[in-house]
Amino acid sequence: MKIGLEVHVALQTNTKLFCRCRNDAAEVNTAICPTCMGFPGSKPVLNGSALSIALGIAKALNCKTREKVSFIRKVYFYPDLPKSYQITQLDEPMGYDGGVEYGKRKVGIRRVQLEEDPARIIREEEYTLIDFNRSGVPLVEIVTEPEIVDPEDLRSFLFELESILYYLGIDIEKELKIDLNISLGRNRVEVKNVTGIRNLVDAARHEMERQKALLDSGKDVVAETRSYNEGKGVTEESREKESDEEYGYIYDPDLTEYSLTGVEFAKPLMAGKIAHDYAERYGANEDTLRELLMFNRDALRLLEHAKDRRSMKSIINAISLLRKYNGMEMDEDSFDQMAMLLEKGGYVGEETVKKLLSGGSIDINVEEVKVEDLDREILELINKNEGLIEEYEKNPKTFNFIVGEMMKKHKLNPRYIAERLGKLLEERRK
Amino acid sequence: MLIIMDEMGFERLLKICRLHLTVEEAEKIRKDLEEVVAYFGVLDETDTDGAEPAYHPVEMLQLIGDDREKEFENKEGLLSNAKTYRFYLVGPNV
Amino acid sequence: MSSISEFYEKDRGEDYYNRLIEEIGGLNGKLNAFNAIGSISEGFPFSVKDNICVKGIETTASSKMLGSYVPPFNATVVERMLKKGFGFLGKTNMDEFGFGSFGLNCAKPARNPFNEKYVAGGSSSGAAVATSILKYHVAIAESTGGSISTPAAFCGVVGFTPTYGTISRYGLIDYANSLDKIGIMARSGDDAREVFDVVRGSDGNDATCTDPDYHDRNTGNIFVIDELTNGASEEVMREFSRLLDSLAGKGYRIERKSLKILEKAVASYYVIATAEASTNLAKYTGFKYGLKNDKFYQKYNDFFSDARENFGIEAKRRIAIGTFVRGASVKDRYYVKALKVRRLIINELAGILKDGFILNPVMPIKTPSIEEAESLDPLTSYKADMFTIPPNLCGFPHVSFTYAYPDGMPIGAQLTAGHFDDYALLGFLKEWESGFKYRFRYDIGAL
Repeated sequence: MKIGLEVHVALQTNTKLFCRCRNDAAEVNTAICPTCMGFPGSKPVLNGSALSIALGIAKALNCKTREKVSFIRKVYFYPDLPKSYQITQLDEPMGYDGGVEYGKRKVGIRRVQLEEDPARIIREEEYTLIDFNRSGVPLVEIVTEPEIVDPEDLRSFLFELESILYYLGIDIEKELKIDLNISLGRNRVEVKNVTGIRNLVDAARHEMERQKALLDSGKDVVAETRSYNEGKGVTEESREKESDEEYGYIYDPDLTEYSLTGVEFAKPLMAGKIAHDYAERYGANEDTLRELLMFNRDALRLLEHAKDRRSMKSIINAISLLRKYNGMEMDEDSFDQMAMLLEKGGYVGEETVKKLLSGGSIDINVEEVKVEDLDREILELINKNEGLIEEYEKNPKTFNFIVGEMMKKHKLNPRYIAERLGKLLEERRK
Repeated sequence: MLIIMDEMGFERLLKICRLHLTVEEAEKIRKDLEEVVAYFGVLDETDTDGAEPAYHPVEMLQLIGDDREKEFENKEGLLSNAKTYRFYLVGPNV
Repeated sequence: MSSISEFYEKDRGEDYYNRLIEEIGGLNGKLNAFNAIGSISEGFPFSVKDNICVKGIETTASSKMLGSYVPPFNATVVERMLKKGFGFLGKTNMDEFGFGSFGLNCAKPARNPFNEKYVAGGSSSGAAVATSILKYHVAIAESTGGSISTPAAFCGVVGFTPTYGTISRYGLIDYANSLDKIGIMARSGDDAREVFDVVRGSDGNDATCTDPDYHDRNTGNIFVIDELTNGASEEVMREFSRLLDSLAGKGYRIERKSLKILEKAVASYYVIATAEASTNLAKYTGFKYGLKNDKFYQKYNDFFSDARENFGIEAKRRIAIGTFVRGASVKDRYYVKALKVRRLIINELAGILKDGFILNPVMPIKTPSIEEAESLDPLTSYKADMFTIPPNLCGFPHVSFTYAYPDGMPIGAQLTAGHFDDYALLGFLKEWESGFKYRFRYDIGAL
């Protein structure tokens, strides 16, 4: 089985790709001008930010780049396409021949291209309603090689891709629009315009099953374009699509070639790879690290800062606590204090996090309690309270009482106290 | 070389163009198309090895717009050319 | 002195513009120069070819597809003229979308002011007629393949087509974007120069508009290229020879050359022009502006195809040809090949133009009657542009000027210079006009 994707990423520039109308206006037809409505006489002028962001994506996906990029006209007729051609790229795209590695897998990236979004269209019974606010919004289309092997692999690939996009500063809350090419046998079926990872994986699974059933019964899969019906969870035949012959691509003579020399772009950040490297280097759990780092710039920032100052265990612990108490924006120095406290076996609760966030400092001078002393004090407490052990056997909650009592005496991490207590009880039982 | 546009090829071309033609128009344009395209055959004989396509006749400097909003001041003028419904433009059925 | 300076120096009286508009109105019924007349009340009058947007004024490119279209913005050239105090007079007639050499491809073809049975030339037909009948006026026109030179020559006015990209195309309704050039028609080189200085210059709204370093090279050499005279009628050549003699008399060195590759220029031009045009015309689908199809219940493909029936026959023909030559299976053979041939022609011509001007008759034939022009089949008619196409295909600046009046009709020559040698051409015109007086049949608005 082979799956290839065309992923469309909307860029959050201030203005549209070829005019200076606001990108992403809410009220219908308020961010419009002659250019994004395709009026006679209007001309496109390329948005420099969109060029930079698109180049950043191409570089992050390890694509090769040419010296220059150019744009072409892809002609097709639909009410949402104001000029009846879309300005996109063909021979000189933002990047080509790249690839994404995730775990032990790698999927090739055929092309990354910058293009304009059509308008938003609402289907009514006997007409359509068109909002041109979206017309001309910059899109980056990422075309993969058909190298994704199954729906699970699809999910892993998209997780990695979204993480890369996230670290390029792209708002991934807006769900990606993806076209899916899928073939079990000879012929390739295209499933158009699926929104969101969950739907996509479902669509792939359904289409796979449909094709498998056809092939099993000795029938052929027709090469065609289908659409995914979320409600019914099936793919359906969709409208006729133009072929390359019909698109009749020509160079867009209203635009020029654009040199990539000197175009600044965001440095990519591969959180998946960082999680992997850290897991190896520091002996931490890779899944835990991935979970923390793939979509969290702050987590990565704090980890990078503290990695060689504190133990990986206390760093991970500290980041998890910040997530729990919504404190991810914490500055590095405060984080350092917090991790140090944890490392020393100190206690960090919501209060501590709040205090650090509001600029306060905390007492990190955890009294150095020797293990022997702690153990001795615990034993004393047990001995002082006759019957505690018996009660504990009936009700393990008694445990909390002991930990609580000990915390009154020392600023220690409750988990640490519990750990010692457990050990002591164990020994006693023997 | 004369390109012969068969009936089907020509019909398909008109479909791609979204052109409805009368019978007389279709007949005339098909004949003209054959003649004109045959004439374009003179290009075949030209040796263009090593020549880069000239997308523009003069060398172009690149003009890149900065990403600052510039509101178009006459939006009513854009919408008043068409039929609208609650500020949406009304378009044909899909 | 330019007629623009002269106009501002003269006392025009209170009623000048009303009388002007009245007189134009009277003659326009006969000559069809204007598609729309504005309400001018001050400034030196300028007209605008009907494929250039003027805010609030119906702009149709003489096409039914754009019937009743009112642009919500001004083209950059219009904006610059108005800002400089010129007065907008009206929109001038043309071949639909610029598709034509004789001005006949529209509802009411313009007629030649020297003889109404003759064509005005196209596609900037109305601009040429307006310039020919108005004493104080300049026309903003546009050329893709000869649409300024030809009508200027037929109507006996100066036609100036500057280097590609020197005047912003923002607001120009596209025919073929890599060929379209806004230019100027006037009654003298000085007027054209004055307007060029106002309208040229880079524009944040047109990515192909440049601010070059202009040169002013006049080496005293004039090249006459065999391929730009072959096929001209005897009568045209007889007159043209006299022009060459006269220029030699003024000290120009005339040299003949042959440039075989120019025989491919017409094919290269029509491939590129129709390929680009067929994409530009795709936007006219009958609901956003201009002509409206109100049968929204139709499926979009039928809705569009029905609306697009309203293109004229020449537009339909060029859409079909252009769509064909850019189809994926033949694109390399036609579209890409034509672009490469264009590269070769540019290189060859640039080599010649660095040493001097190129001079040729504007058309191989004298001004045809409307009847004659109507009888031409499309291919013959395309080939009639063979002398005006090379500089247009290659973006070289050129001027068309009158040099004789055989049988009372003006006949014109076209002088081409190297890229950005625009001022050298305007300098040549000044020199030419010091020894030659243009004649006009009308002088509306004379003071």
